[in-house]
Amino acid sequence: MNGSMAQRAQLGWTVAGVAACVLLAALWTFPLLWAMSTALRPEHETVSAVFHWLPQDWTLDAFRITLGAGNLPRWLFNSALVALLVTAVTMAISLMAAYAFSQLRFRGRSLLFAVAMLAFLLPFEALLVPLFRTMNQLGLINSYAGLVLPQVVSPVVIYVFKQFFDQIPADFREAAVMDGAGPLRVLWSVYLPISGNIVWAMAIVTFIGAWNNFLWPFIIVTSNDMMTIPLGLTQTYDAFGVRYAQLMASALLGALPVGLAYALFQRRVTQGFLAASGLKG
Amino acid sequence: MASVSLRGIKKQYDNNQVIKGIDLSIADGEFVVFVGPSGCGKSTLLRIIAGLEDISEGTLEIGGQVSNTVEPSRRGIAMVFQSYALYPHMSVAENMGFALKLAKVPKAEIAGRVGRAAQILQIEHLLERKPKALSGGQRQRVAIGRAIVRKPQVFLFDEPLSNLDAALRGQTRVELARLHRELQATMIYVTHDQVEAMTLGQKIVVLNGGRIEQVGTPVDLYERPANKFVAGFLGSPRMNFFEATLVGEAGGSAGVMLAGGARVQVAADVARAQLGARVTLGVRPEHLQIMRPGVTETRQDGGVKATVALVEYLGDVTLVYAHVEGAAGAESEMVAVKCDADIAPPAPGSRVELVFPASRAFLFDADGLVFAPVWAEREEAPLLQAR
Repeated sequence: MNGSMAQRAQLGWTVAGVAACVLLAALWTFPLLWAMSTALRPEHETVSAVFHWLPQDWTLDAFRITLGAGNLPRWLFNSALVALLVTAVTMAISLMAAYAFSQLRFRGRSLLFAVAMLAFLLPFEALLVPLFRTMNQLGLINSYAGLVLPQVVSPVVIYVFKQFFDQIPADFREAAVMDGAGPLRVLWSVYLPISGNIVWAMAIVTFIGAWNNFLWPFIIVTSNDMMTIPLGLTQTYDAFGVRYAQLMASALLGALPVGLAYALFQRRVTQGFLAASGLKG
Repeated sequence: MASVSLRGIKKQYDNNQVIKGIDLSIADGEFVVFVGPSGCGKSTLLRIIAGLEDISEGTLEIGGQVSNTVEPSRRGIAMVFQSYALYPHMSVAENMGFALKLAKVPKAEIAGRVGRAAQILQIEHLLERKPKALSGGQRQRVAIGRAIVRKPQVFLFDEPLSNLDAALRGQTRVELARLHRELQATMIYVTHDQVEAMTLGQKIVVLNGGRIEQVGTPVDLYERPANKFVAGFLGSPRMNFFEATLVGEAGGSAGVMLAGGARVQVAADVARAQLGARVTLGVRPEHLQIMRPGVTETRQDGGVKATVALVEYLGDVTLVYAHVEGAAGAESEMVAVKCDADIAPPAPGSRVELVFPASRAFLFDADGLVFAPVWAEREEAPLLQAR
């Protein structure tokens, strides 16, 4: 008797849990689904007084106009280039810094690491003015270097890598040293391959963050040709007024590369986060 | 030349001195074992030779060259780590050839040297596997192969058998000894296991608290320990120690009285001690004999009364643990007696007498230093006599 009651209670909790997950998933995906639905209908339907979940008249006109007008291809290129550069440079700097903090012994190491982590406490917004002035003095306004450089230092990524490197037995490094490897070679040939999944995870997260970054490009870029997707979409809005179908089409096209990248590398991201947490997948 | 020389080697971490002055010479082709309890500094000393730790003071020479500040990879040494340290993302062949690849050795030569080392260690069939697909013994052989490929002057082993089960340890010990004979290389081996030390080492260095207690062959250390620490460290069960007082001395024979009042003779030169001095008597378990009470009254050697506490049958021997009668009839520490397994041991609770043969006992002074034994030279059994 008690056993069946317990089983019913367990089933009830399971059903409630699944229902909650379905509800949350629906809430989470609704904006995306609505954007798709809006982008696939004619402009007049987007402001119709009668509400429809799905388009009454399916069309790709919004995508066609968006791709033909404005500067979307250029913005896509800028976003891709900046995100790739930010990811590559961030990974390089963070890996070397994390290796030094984790495996090398030098005077002031702990203090230097503490200073690097103090950057956690500073919101990026607080650095906007000094960064802008610096980029201006260097002549890097409206340039790729100006877009990339302030984004390549990430205390979070350094911290994650350092924590992971701390878990790798020192014997591997010492064996490599005995084999004749210098610090960079040890990092490249031993630590990097061992850390493959976590590097992929951090790279994807960094790429997505750089792709979606609006604030810094908004500050540093004034030229239409140098805009990235998030910034360019606001220009689209101003140019088109309240053309919601084209606005949604622009947003979807802007998010498509990142979505594809995440879909391709989702397994590596998950494995990377599991590796960082120490859990077995 | 592949000799190693350590002169006045000291190592300090902040305010903690872990190596307190080591002087040691290792000849070319010698198999030397560093043995000692945990924390004695044996691994630190090995790492100093390897170049993985700096030297605070002293001089290290490898192959006649001062190597204090020479990079590890340029010292002509190769090391086998306790954890094997095989790179998990590389195959066995890549692991073994990594050092040569870093040295820009041509690929054909790398393949040749890896193949020859794999042949010596019988791991040719494993070359394409990753370390996670290998057993513990296979990983250990790959780690040794990685060292062999580099053709070093000196091999360093840091407790390489500690992760293996007992059967595999025995088997691998034999293989290591064979390897040493085949390669004729200088090998320095660190272990806390005295069985490994005694079976592998041509020369054993016993370390304790950052200092060398004694250096010698296994026979020397076992039969002529320099102090109480070495005497107690080598041998299983360990040597039995009894606190005693020096009560007589005559022509190379010392009379001592144990806490329980028993008087025994020991063949030792105690000229440097005074009568009444506190000494420690040491007798190995295999040199003790168990007698029925009263038998020792008719023997020249003294006997000590004891009560059997525990009997352990090990198949080839039987270990009898007994409480020795201490002062005023109180029980003192437990002593171990190693008996022939064919002879029926006394039952637990039995009262017995333990006989100490004068020629097989040791005496140590208050500082733990041995009084020189006065024995006849150890006679070899007929089968072992040189032709």
